[in-house]
Amino acid sequence: MENEVSRRTFLQWIIASLSAAIGLVLGGTGTGYFLSPAFKKEDEGWIDVGSVREVSRGAPVKLEFTQRKKDGWMTVETRSSAWFLTSNGRDFVAFDPRCTHLGCPYRWDADKKQFLCPCHTATFAVDGRVVSGPPPRPLDRFPVKVVRERLQIIPQALESGKA
Amino acid sequence: MIAKFLSELDERTGWKKVKEALLDRRIPEASGWQAWLYTLGSASLLLFAVQALTGMLLAMNYVPSPDHAYDSIRYIEREVLLGSFVRGLHHWGASFMVVIVALHMLRVFFMGAYKYPREGTWMAGVALFMVVMGFSFTGYLLPWDQKAYWATAVGTNIAAQVPTLGPYIGKVLKGGDVLGALTLSRFYAFHVLVLPALLILFVGLHLFLVVWHGISETPRRKDQ
Ligand code: HEM
Ligand code: FES
Repeated sequence: MENEVSRRTFLQWIIASLSAAIGLVLGGTGTGYFLSPAFKKEDEGWIDVGSVREVSRGAPVKLEFTQRKKDGWMTVETRSSAWFLTSNGRDFVAFDPRCTHLGCPYRWDADKKQFLCPCHTATFAVDGRVVSGPPPRPLDRFPVKVVRERLQIIPQALESGKA
Repeated sequence: MIAKFLSELDERTGWKKVKEALLDRRIPEASGWQAWLYTLGSASLLLFAVQALTGMLLAMNYVPSPDHAYDSIRYIEREVLLGSFVRGLHHWGASFMVVIVALHMLRVFFMGAYKYPREGTWMAGVALFMVVMGFSFTGYLLPWDQKAYWATAVGTNIAAQVPTLGPYIGKVLKGGDVLGALTLSRFYAFHVLVLPALLILFVGLHLFLVVWHGISETPRRKDQ
């Protein structure tokens, strides 16, 4: 016979293919497992804060919410809050509740229609502008959206300083 | 092209001689099902390679603490891509490893392959067997579920029955007075650091001796 394959060559070929198959399955599995963080969909982190009706026109309100952060198999729950306001009941603004000076919580002064920080007596206008005091920039804003009449936010300041 | 590269490489590393010595060894004539018995050692080695690879992957997500062990494994099962497959390989590979190593040991025993001059190979094998047992014992605790916890409670209590020294052995195994966080991290350290190092050491010795002595002849009846 011309194209005779010896027993040895045949077996070598079988061994090579089986090894390749095993290597491929193990290698592929390992690569997928190892690289899987790259394909994982990022959790955008929108948090439901409450109904839009909780925010009335003109007067900012501070709403509390529970933030659930997933860290692998752990879920860390933290209570936090944000100031919400609206001028027309459709578009909402959310402010980080920490003063942009050194992080104190501020409050709404209904008479002066200003935010008031007690720590170093700063005042902010209703749109977050610094009116007086040491803060270096306007109040930080959180991304807000309205989904089926519910307010949702991501409690992470948009590019601070440029609000 | 490839042939040229390989021969250039050979000039610099001598890998052809190494391959000859390791893979193109002369082995005893064997046929039929008996020939398969000679594959059990290599099968053990392949299983160890699979365990090592899957173990490295699992260690990327597993945390050996009572607070996190169980949850981190559930995370691997449910959320990591191919996680349950990788864990399954490690889980079944562990059982297969014990079975295959035991069968390998039995074939060596029944063929009398442990006799002169292969006592060293056998002793290295005994060390390997104990290391494999160690892997099983320590690995079983890591999921930190009820089965893991109570199996280890039983295991450490058995060790603590030794006269006089028993209580001390129990404490050393558990890393303290009770089965808890210290036991888990201690078992984990053995499972992923101490035992692999020992296994690699003894496999090296074992395989060196196997190659050095060659595989023993299949025992035959006088009249054959
Ligand atoms: C991780 C565990 C082990 C591995 C990876 C391993 C690997 C191997 C390999 C590849 C061989 C070549 C021949 C064959 O496969 O039969 C071999 C031979 C041998 N093994 Fe093991 N082995 C292990 C455990 C053991 C144990 C537990 C014993 C006995 C206590 C043992 C005793 C021997 C002996 C005496 C030989 C020489 C056999 C002969 O020359 O015919 N090995 N081993
Ligand atoms: S922290 Fe608010 S003014 Fe200093």
